[in-house]
Amino acid sequence: MLNRLTLRGFARLVAAAAAFAVAGAVGAQDLAKTKPAGFPNGPLEMTVVYPAGGGADLTARLLARTMEKISGEKILVNNRTGGAGMVGHTWLATQAPADGSVMGMVVNLVWGDAMLRGQGRWTYTDLEPIGYLNSDPMIWAVTTNGPFKSASLAQIVQMAKEKPGTYRVATVPGSMWDYLIEQVEVNTGAKFLKVPFQSGGAGTTALVGDNVDIAPAFFAELRPHVDSGKVKLVAIASQQRVKHLPDLPTFNEALNGKDYEWTLLRFVVVPKAVPADRKAWLASVIKAAMSDPGLIEDYTKLGVYFDPALRDAANPTAALNALAEKERQFYLKTGRLK
Amino acid sequence: MDALSGLMHGFAVVLQPQLLMFCLLGSVIGTLVGVLPGIGPLAALALLLPVTFTLPPIAGMLMLAAIFYGAMYGGSTTSILLNLPGEAASVVTCRDGYQMALKGRAGPALGVAAFGSFIAGTLSVIALTFFAPILGSFAIRFGPPENFALMVLGLVCTLYMISGSVLKGLVMIALGVLLGTVGIDVVNGRERYTFGTINLTGGVEILALVIGLYGVSEILLNVERVISSTLVTEKLRHLFPTRADWKASAAPIARGSLLGFLLGVVPGGGPITAAFMSYAMEQRISKTPERFGRGAIEGVAGPESANNAAVGGSMVPVLSLGIPGTPVTALLLGALIIQGIQPGPLFIQQQPDLFWGIVASMYIGNVFLLILNLPMVGLWVQLLKVPYKYLFPVVLLLSVVGTYSANKNVFDLWVMLGFGAFGWLLRKLRYDLAPLIIAFILAPMMEQSLRQSLVMSSAGVWFFAQRPIVVVICVISAVLVGLIVFKPRKNIPSGGDL
Repeated sequence: MLNRLTLRGFARLVAAAAAFAVAGAVGAQDLAKTKPAGFPNGPLEMTVVYPAGGGADLTARLLARTMEKISGEKILVNNRTGGAGMVGHTWLATQAPADGSVMGMVVNLVWGDAMLRGQGRWTYTDLEPIGYLNSDPMIWAVTTNGPFKSASLAQIVQMAKEKPGTYRVATVPGSMWDYLIEQVEVNTGAKFLKVPFQSGGAGTTALVGDNVDIAPAFFAELRPHVDSGKVKLVAIASQQRVKHLPDLPTFNEALNGKDYEWTLLRFVVVPKAVPADRKAWLASVIKAAMSDPGLIEDYTKLGVYFDPALRDAANPTAALNALAEKERQFYLKTGRLK
Repeated sequence: MDALSGLMHGFAVVLQPQLLMFCLLGSVIGTLVGVLPGIGPLAALALLLPVTFTLPPIAGMLMLAAIFYGAMYGGSTTSILLNLPGEAASVVTCRDGYQMALKGRAGPALGVAAFGSFIAGTLSVIALTFFAPILGSFAIRFGPPENFALMVLGLVCTLYMISGSVLKGLVMIALGVLLGTVGIDVVNGRERYTFGTINLTGGVEILALVIGLYGVSEILLNVERVISSTLVTEKLRHLFPTRADWKASAAPIARGSLLGFLLGVVPGGGPITAAFMSYAMEQRISKTPERFGRGAIEGVAGPESANNAAVGGSMVPVLSLGIPGTPVTALLLGALIIQGIQPGPLFIQQQPDLFWGIVASMYIGNVFLLILNLPMVGLWVQLLKVPYKYLFPVVLLLSVVGTYSANKNVFDLWVMLGFGAFGWLLRKLRYDLAPLIIAFILAPMMEQSLRQSLVMSSAGVWFFAQRPIVVVICVISAVLVGLIVFKPRKNIPSGGDL
């Protein structure tokens, strides 16, 4: 068995094991002392590839604040923006210093960038996940005064079959917004009119302004409009119903499917070449931060949830990479990747 | 709670020493951010966002808001003194502001920019106070077809800004449109004109373009001419606007305020578009359009009012609906969310302290900014006496830092320098840069909203005719085009851009 592991794989295993040994055995206050020798002095950078103020940015800033408290290190959140994340992802994978001084707080859209748009310059394995933060499953929302005001997802699909290509749904081309719609169309035979927007948030705005009939979006951005009575949630693209929305059916339930699963995952990566002991130390700081009740409360307020399968995974690196592989299979199956 | 008692409540919340200090602090930082070329409100707010974590939400928010509108005050300073826009929204101020400075009238230009900003800022807060909820629900109706109509109107206004050769003007508009197509195509997600480099997938960074074309090329031109002396040899005349200046500026300030506020409210607008459209409008209305580009005070008063009013306007959708229209308001929204407050349509009812507190603080902040900026006029004017050989390295350094701060991408600096050289060439050949910039901003939005609209409708172009707002805006555009075609304006000799 062991001889089949590559050297790198073995190093990874050791790193992961070390991380959890450290996190388990050492109290938060002692983390500062366990910093590996030779770890760069000075502030650490947490790269965010999206603009300041957005969901990813807020997730990173809250994390950085907690990690600072725990580790005593100064952590600067740096927004390296451009190309819908592509510029920052490429920087992290190919140019970021691999001495442990740079982490990236990314969402799983990084995999699509690597597999479909990376032009072979880098792959998703160049960025090694060292800690899982939280998840945001995609939700379909409709307006309470639109054509779907009292419709369930099954009824919406039925209506879209009867009048194909007339009901407007917001999408972001080449991303999970698109894929979910496409899955529904392929599996049910329904046909929607897909209106492209540059971001999910713009689609939500169009929904509230009655310019589209359905918007795929995330709970945090929908919540205020649900509270005001303008918007109604239809279904959630997670494996099971989520705790904070117990009455919202999943796509799988509503459409008798099994692979309607599109979730924004937020996690921390470092360049692959970062030495194993430094990776392990950073991972242990993240792990400790993620057991800080204050941070959990802040994240919960943002409307996200914590996927037990990833949160409690013995090896989050492997668990996240397995999901990346699943996404790759989807691209292969749908002919996006050859 | 009606608007007036709400506002009183807001003042009751804000009028305490600690909060006033934060408002003042925001105003000071905002002024600085505005004055420094390149460093915009977005970069400054991103930098200061973590500071607000530990503050009460109201303190953090009113400080961040003050930085945002404060930046619009300071933005005109380097435009007027150095022909170098402190913000993209102050690009158009360079045209007449700098000409005024060359004629020894930097003081009145700065003064009218400060007063215009104050008046427009205050008027827009008044509008925000009384009409935020109504305007919010109006703004949200703006879908792709309305945005498209608005962009068409903007481009039509650009036609009015062409000075000198019409052909050269059209060439610049075309160039701006072309540059705007670089990047990811929003409709099908494919890359266009990126030449295989990942750095261009996000398109050409606007800050790099503006600072390059204006700032760097200005430095190159000046280095040729005035390396051993100061920029302005003309004796400085009045430090403050004269009675005649006031008379000329009053109407442009009022019009700029209204136009700017409305353009700030709607999603496709914003301070940059507002300033450009105000300039075009003033030039069109003026009985002596030939003065524009050669130091007409209306050309400073209108745009500088419009960009401030647009900031007030852009607060409407974010505070009344929780929907940000610009990157800066998105950041303000983020600052609230991180405090556990998610603004939405119920924000005003659920968080009256916060909403009315922010509104009240904007009245106070505008007063602070006026008091801060007026005495500074005298100081800034002295800057013109600094020998250029000491001034330009500092300005260039600030431009580099500012451009880098936008995306933290070194590639943008090469873009900036490239456009600096290109801008130098264009100006040597007497091409006007302003139409390029505005076309660069408007064209991508126009293309995107047109294609979205066509996807949305099965009725083809007739879809536009079914939407009343679209029809109104299109009629205005058609009239404006008609006025050019049927009443040829005097061929204005190329202004003082060189």
